[in-house]
Amino acid sequence: MNNTQEAKRYHPAYLLVELFEFLRNSFFFILFLFIFNFDVTTGWIFWAKIAFLAAAAFTIGKIFLSWRLHTYEFDRKSITLREGIFVKKVRTIAFDRVQNKKTSTSFIHNWFKLTSLTLETGTSNDEASVRFPVLKRQEADAIVETIDKGAAAETSSVESEEGETDASLPVRSEKSQRLEYFRSTNKDTLRAAFTSLSFLAIFPILLTLYFQIDDFFSIEDDAENAVLYFADHFWLLAPLFIVAILISSVIGYIITTIRYGNYRIEADRERIYITRGVGQVHTFSIQRNKVQAIQIEQPFMKRIWGIVEVKLISAEALSIGDELATNSLYPFMKTKEAYALLGELLPQYTVQDNLNRLPRNTIWLKLLRPYYVTVFAGVALWFFRPSLLWVAGVLFAISLVSRLFDYLFTRYALEGDSIQIRTGGFTTTTFVTRRERIQEIEVSQSKLQRAFGVRSLGFTNRAKPIHVSSIQDVPDGLGNDFKQWFVQRKVKLE
Amino acid sequence: MEYILKEPERQISTKIIQIWRTTNTIGHGSFLLGFVALLTASHYWDWYNWVNITLYVLIGITVLSAIFSILIEPVFIQRTWRYDVDENFIQLKHGRWNVEHKIIPMAKIEYVTTDQGPFLRKAGLYSLNIGTTASSHKIPAIPEKEALKLRSLIASYANVKEDDSFE
Repeated sequence: MNNTQEAKRYHPAYLLVELFEFLRNSFFFILFLFIFNFDVTTGWIFWAKIAFLAAAAFTIGKIFLSWRLHTYEFDRKSITLREGIFVKKVRTIAFDRVQNKKTSTSFIHNWFKLTSLTLETGTSNDEASVRFPVLKRQEADAIVETIDKGAAAETSSVESEEGETDASLPVRSEKSQRLEYFRSTNKDTLRAAFTSLSFLAIFPILLTLYFQIDDFFSIEDDAENAVLYFADHFWLLAPLFIVAILISSVIGYIITTIRYGNYRIEADRERIYITRGVGQVHTFSIQRNKVQAIQIEQPFMKRIWGIVEVKLISAEALSIGDELATNSLYPFMKTKEAYALLGELLPQYTVQDNLNRLPRNTIWLKLLRPYYVTVFAGVALWFFRPSLLWVAGVLFAISLVSRLFDYLFTRYALEGDSIQIRTGGFTTTTFVTRRERIQEIEVSQSKLQRAFGVRSLGFTNRAKPIHVSSIQDVPDGLGNDFKQWFVQRKVKLE
Repeated sequence: MEYILKEPERQISTKIIQIWRTTNTIGHGSFLLGFVALLTASHYWDWYNWVNITLYVLIGITVLSAIFSILIEPVFIQRTWRYDVDENFIQLKHGRWNVEHKIIPMAKIEYVTTDQGPFLRKAGLYSLNIGTTASSHKIPAIPEKEALKLRSLIASYANVKEDDSFE
């Protein structure tokens, strides 16, 4: 790609992509107005048809006009976008502001060998990202390369990261090649499908479908009849149920494959690249030295299966809008495999094995703390639904178990430049960060904690939004160690 | 070189006790007035009984909270507040039952401002606000001269920017 170039329009397939989007969004209107009420030409349905046609004409006109009027151009350092039909808008984004590049390829994109590209900047307002809805794949690659080159030229002098001597990621002169570190297998996807319980996903889908259809045609009576029929012929339910589970397992597997299938983690010296999805391909990349911390999450379900989800905490925006957050390395990775991968990808964050447990007496402290949820639920139920008061009992039992688990699973380690804490009852979260990455710390102690000789530690990391971590009931001495540890942070002068 | 962290020692002005008493009286007083007004309305127009109960409970809580936060709390907060500023860190520590100790590196400080409401002005005090990308912190009552000196001191220390390769 040239360094400067003419203002360009999007590929004409833009029209098709947008049109398809419009049709998809108005699918039920069309179904209702023009298929099922095809020959109705009176009353409100008639007017609804006219209104719909007017809206459709307006939308299609708008799609066409925006294709005509939206342009983008590049120069050596920035992208300029011109958009808007009635209100003209010109945006210029400098390459070195672009922190994140994501591509996403839908089925339609696939047919035409196209893709969409989103460039994210560090700011948090609604102008923060630039989206190219339709691009040829080569062009998308070329844009990414242009930006990388432009940004590299801008910032090559100040790249090194605070405090961390990047022994593992040295000089950036020759651009190292991308190596693949992980590729998901069918077994992984199968495991993912089961742990995410996606085979149950069919039920909400069916329910939404039912209600959506019910909005337009009242099938409630038919449904009631069906329920009555099955109530009479109870034995019919069993095979039906098995078939439903089978179908939904298959659907769940397919959904999981579309989302997490063909999952790849690659990295070169500067960045980590994540690609996922079948049919709808999403890519995401993050700069290695901008990872602020690592968070390892393990909900109860995943603990049973021995898998974890590793998340990279970073101030860069990590998920786009409604999309699934992609800041996680593969969410369904075997624990050992995940730790090994982390060691290779981000050697500056090593996950420790020899962690400290909380002092034994803190179990009583944890159990002694007020049970706000239980009390609140109890009072509310007592006033409004005394017959359901047993729910408060269940809540009490759950909080008891959760606190017990919290005591059993909480761990901490303060070693070298890094701190690692693991907290949580049913879902445990391990958090690893380095001293230089911590924005500020807080050590606190309540009256109750003082009686037990323990404290709470808290620290914040840069992320979007700010990430606050805390660990409760660590021994008194650790509070002081933590303060002393933190103030030894190296301050690099400019 | 080992950096030794000293416990913070500087205290905030004792005049703040009276100011907190005044502002808390105003705050709690206005809540109380509001609840009493609602209660009167409730009796006048015969609202549901649970409204009355709720209002009585709320009034009770407000009175208890007022006793605590007008008579007792200000003294303790003032007496336990400590802060310190050196070229590397700002320390804030306060609380008697819940002791909180915050340490903020100078390099992470983005801005520092001084504030002065009508009550503080009358007492010749300023409150100092310190902001990082993560949060903002307040030192509630510092005499005028000291506050202004501290503000420019922090500003000059914080200027020692760390290269953390963000913009």
